[in-house]
Amino acid sequence: MAKADLDDLDRKLIELLAQDARVSNRKIATRLGVTEGTVRGRIKRLQQERLIRFTAITGMEMGPRVRMALIWIQTDVNQVQKVGNRLRDDPEISAVLVLAGRFNLLAICLFRELDELVDLAADRILALPGVRHVETAIAVRTAKYNARIARIVDGGTPIDD
Amino acid sequence: MSSGGDFSFDDTDLAIVDLLRRNGRATNQQIAEDLGLTATTVSARIRRMEDANQLRVVAVSDFAAHGFDVLIQIKIEVDNRPVSEVATELAAFSEVFAAHVVTGSYDIDLLVTLKELGDLHDFMFERLAKVHGIRTITPSIAVDILKYRFDKSIIQAG
Repeated sequence: MAKADLDDLDRKLIELLAQDARVSNRKIATRLGVTEGTVRGRIKRLQQERLIRFTAITGMEMGPRVRMALIWIQTDVNQVQKVGNRLRDDPEISAVLVLAGRFNLLAICLFRELDELVDLAADRILALPGVRHVETAIAVRTAKYNARIARIVDGGTPIDD
Repeated sequence: MSSGGDFSFDDTDLAIVDLLRRNGRATNQQIAEDLGLTATTVSARIRRMEDANQLRVVAVSDFAAHGFDVLIQIKIEVDNRPVSEVATELAAFSEVFAAHVVTGSYDIDLLVTLKELGDLHDFMFERLAKVHGIRTITPSIAVDILKYRFDKSIIQAG
């Protein structure tokens, strides 16, 4: 990961936009005592460097019946990348980490019915070529989580104003 | 965030949300043009979803923007103490980014963010190991993150 070079203004900007990304540049400029052009330029730079991404989180993901599952996967060593890419391309998987540890990959998904998780973990993932072993842990209680900080992998947001 | 109970999204709502997911800072006017609506309708729809706590349009910032260069997933087994109590104590650590009580072969799942790998030793042995009730600590270092998006993937029922 590259070291990010951020100043106080960047940090204030990120904090404001993390609360509500739809505030106009003009309002932000007034709040922070800078020009609209500065705000526009800073936002563009932060996006270009993949330090921020604007998105919408809906009740569908925040609903009371939504649970998170961690699927720990052991693969043949030479298949890690291939299996990882298959998991990444699966729209039902939220996160894929390549690990140095007893498990090579960790896939994280959100689900409502246990059946859906079984279909994904036990049937689909375990059946992938190169996958040796799968272990699932279901989050039953969240003690801490912040959806507004993440790893920004793809440039989902078009960078133009 | 409280749930909206019987709130439901119609096709227009979903189309607006879809555009916002791709660019949360698209103006009402841009969204309206894309969908053949008026800016007033777009604005009213967004407000209705936000007021019902069913929509938040936010900036998600990268771990790196906060100075974190290392991500570690840690499995914790607990003994002789209620698991939720241990999880609450761990959640208070600034290095702990996420803490979940889980069912499975271990008890607590932690996602830990560190400035550098050199900080891992102190974190594990000076901080974690001193928490009462922790029996084992199994860290896995994330050497690559292929995907990390919790804002749109949920396994669809049916």
